[in-house]
Amino acid sequence: MANKAFGVITSAGGNFHVEGLHDYRPIGAFSFLGRYRVIDFPISNMSNSGIDQIQVYVSSRPRSIAEHIGTGRHYNINSKRGKLQLLFTQINNPQSIYNNNIAGFYENMEIIERMHLPYVVIAPSYMVYKQDYSRLLDEHVESAADVTLLYHRVSDARDAYIGCSVLNLNKQKGVLSVTQNMGTAKEKNIFMDTYVMSRDMFIDLVNQARAQSSAYTLTDIVSVKCDELDVRGVAHRGTFAAISSLNDYYNANLGLLDLDRADDLFRSNWPIYTRTTNACPTKYFDTANVKKSMIANGCLIEGTVENSIIGRDVHIRKGAVVRDSIVLAYSDIGEGVTIEKTVVDKWAKIIHAGDIRGTEEHPGYVRRNDRI
Amino acid sequence: MGSNMLAMILAGGRGSRLHELTNRVAKPAVAYGGKYKIVDFPLSNCANSGIDVVGVLTQYESVLLNSYVAAGTRWGLDTKDSGVFVLTPREKADTGLDVYRGTADAISQNIDFIDTYDPEYLLVLSGDHIYKMNYAKMLEFHQEHNADATIAVIGVPMKEASRFGIMNTDGNGKIVEFEEKPKKPKSNLASMGIYIFNWKLMRKMLLKDMKDPNSSHDFGKDFIPVMLNEGRTLCAWEFKGYWKDVGTIDSLWEANMDLLDDNNALNLNDPTWRIYTEDAAVVPQYIGPDAKIKRAYITQGVEVEGSVTNSVLFTNVHIGKGAKIVDSVLMPGATVEDGATVTRALVADGVHIGKGVTVGKKNSENILLVAEDVKGKED
Repeated sequence: MANKAFGVITSAGGNFHVEGLHDYRPIGAFSFLGRYRVIDFPISNMSNSGIDQIQVYVSSRPRSIAEHIGTGRHYNINSKRGKLQLLFTQINNPQSIYNNNIAGFYENMEIIERMHLPYVVIAPSYMVYKQDYSRLLDEHVESAADVTLLYHRVSDARDAYIGCSVLNLNKQKGVLSVTQNMGTAKEKNIFMDTYVMSRDMFIDLVNQARAQSSAYTLTDIVSVKCDELDVRGVAHRGTFAAISSLNDYYNANLGLLDLDRADDLFRSNWPIYTRTTNACPTKYFDTANVKKSMIANGCLIEGTVENSIIGRDVHIRKGAVVRDSIVLAYSDIGEGVTIEKTVVDKWAKIIHAGDIRGTEEHPGYVRRNDRI
Repeated sequence: MGSNMLAMILAGGRGSRLHELTNRVAKPAVAYGGKYKIVDFPLSNCANSGIDVVGVLTQYESVLLNSYVAAGTRWGLDTKDSGVFVLTPREKADTGLDVYRGTADAISQNIDFIDTYDPEYLLVLSGDHIYKMNYAKMLEFHQEHNADATIAVIGVPMKEASRFGIMNTDGNGKIVEFEEKPKKPKSNLASMGIYIFNWKLMRKMLLKDMKDPNSSHDFGKDFIPVMLNEGRTLCAWEFKGYWKDVGTIDSLWEANMDLLDDNNALNLNDPTWRIYTEDAAVVPQYIGPDAKIKRAYITQGVEVEGSVTNSVLFTNVHIGKGAKIVDSVLMPGATVEDGATVTRALVADGVHIGKGVTVGKKNSENILLVAEDVKGKED
């Protein structure tokens, strides 16, 4: 069924700001689990579901996404029949209320209209989950709904998923309204920013949103239309994370050190593709001491690593201790340095033998290219 | 880039001294260094040296090797004028289907292929050596010396020289004598099996060699000696760096162990000279809460719950709880169950070692090749 749908991947809205990391790239381009970027998940989901016409909307700072996605060959998308397009908007300010996904769709309407497939699957580039969109499309068509929305029932909405949307459902899974999670209750149906609808409905909603308010997002117009249209929710099961704050980013990564959670996300029949950097394997020295961690290729490990995620080509020197932390690619943790509960951004070099410590509630952050 | 040199990789070797490892795949397709295959080295060297067209000559068990090297994209050999071509013996209009009778014959039988590119120089390589070499530098030397052929040589310890083809030179790089496995070697410059020829002359000589009933059509035994006899200019270009012929289980194990050496000359993470290979869609390596790792070379997709010392683990290897891996090389997909011990062994692709068993011995004379599943104590 999926060969009847094209895919649309959206950027996170201006209501999200992830401390530090977000200053350098959009959330889709964030490094994830040492090897991936967050956007690898929606693209791989689409590719594995048989969707090979994919539009990726980039709302600001396109370099890292453009470089990472390239021609899309590494996502196993047919190079002749398939197509992975990068689409941009003229408004480059990520905080502007006008820089919303509707603006992106509206500016590229000509390209959307040229898509001849009857359905569209829309997924965000800031969430991590596994979903067979071909099954979701089947469910959508069978139910005869106008719009199908994917959601995940969570029990920690008070502290996490702040700024995400919430579906208010009736007993038949009909969507009554879509609101924002303000952290008012533990149990919430977090909307996964994932939609299935017909191409015509999509175009119609974009035009209507545009006519009503230039600040409207796709979620806003769907919420407004809940009375008129048959909008239904479908529950997602399995590992799910929204990268909506530094805390969520930190927990989403470290949470996958629980192998049951990781195994649910990474199945051999559902590969998550990414761009290779041709890094060689990782070398562990005599002095290495590594426990409960995920380590990418190309690293040199001479020190201690516990309950952490280490990106590609990272050097952990003698006597260094990295605990409950995420170290992104090409960083260098110097001799005797201790890092706890901290996210170290790419290319950082920590030479000084001091300690850098964050807390459970607020992980530390070391800037990209920083020298400490 | 673009160069007027075309490369031909001799990858037809049966590699029978690698025993069961080469039952299903040809030697160049054997795994090495955690994530590579041996043939990745000459192919990546070609790509990094600016050579656009590479022919890979295969004969035995070639289906896997063929499909592997045919994806030239992996090494960046995929621009409009470049490519990797798999050349197996073919039936031609004027001859019947034949095998390659020798290394020189493999080139002779593909003269038509080479002619379509009209190269000035032909680079002949072996598909089963591990090294990083800039062939463009060798070509520069070849041109500067106005040579008809240039052979890459490497200094080997004098006491081992009698195991190699030794080049005796005049001190200016010109080869005056070639001795195959001499009892009393006069020099320690061993041929690396890497040659640059002027194609026009080579083509003429190959056509003659093909018809010679006394020739075994081999570069070392026939072609090079004939060139020397004819008084052609043959030069030796000395290579300095890491080079290993992985002909036996012991040497393949050693070449893997060399990667653990802190002073290892083969830096596989040099950003200016990457070795490219097939990309596996697997998760980063996971090291469990009770794992112990000392001196190891481990790649993505590996899961370690036990202890690993002085060993190399390839893609998707799993080491169970309480298992002990010492001085060993575990090839892609090998699994060691809880409590098993593996010492001084080379475990082949996909082999399963059951719970609690012991495989291999400390201080064994040779490395143990484990090519079949080993049943566990409770199986």
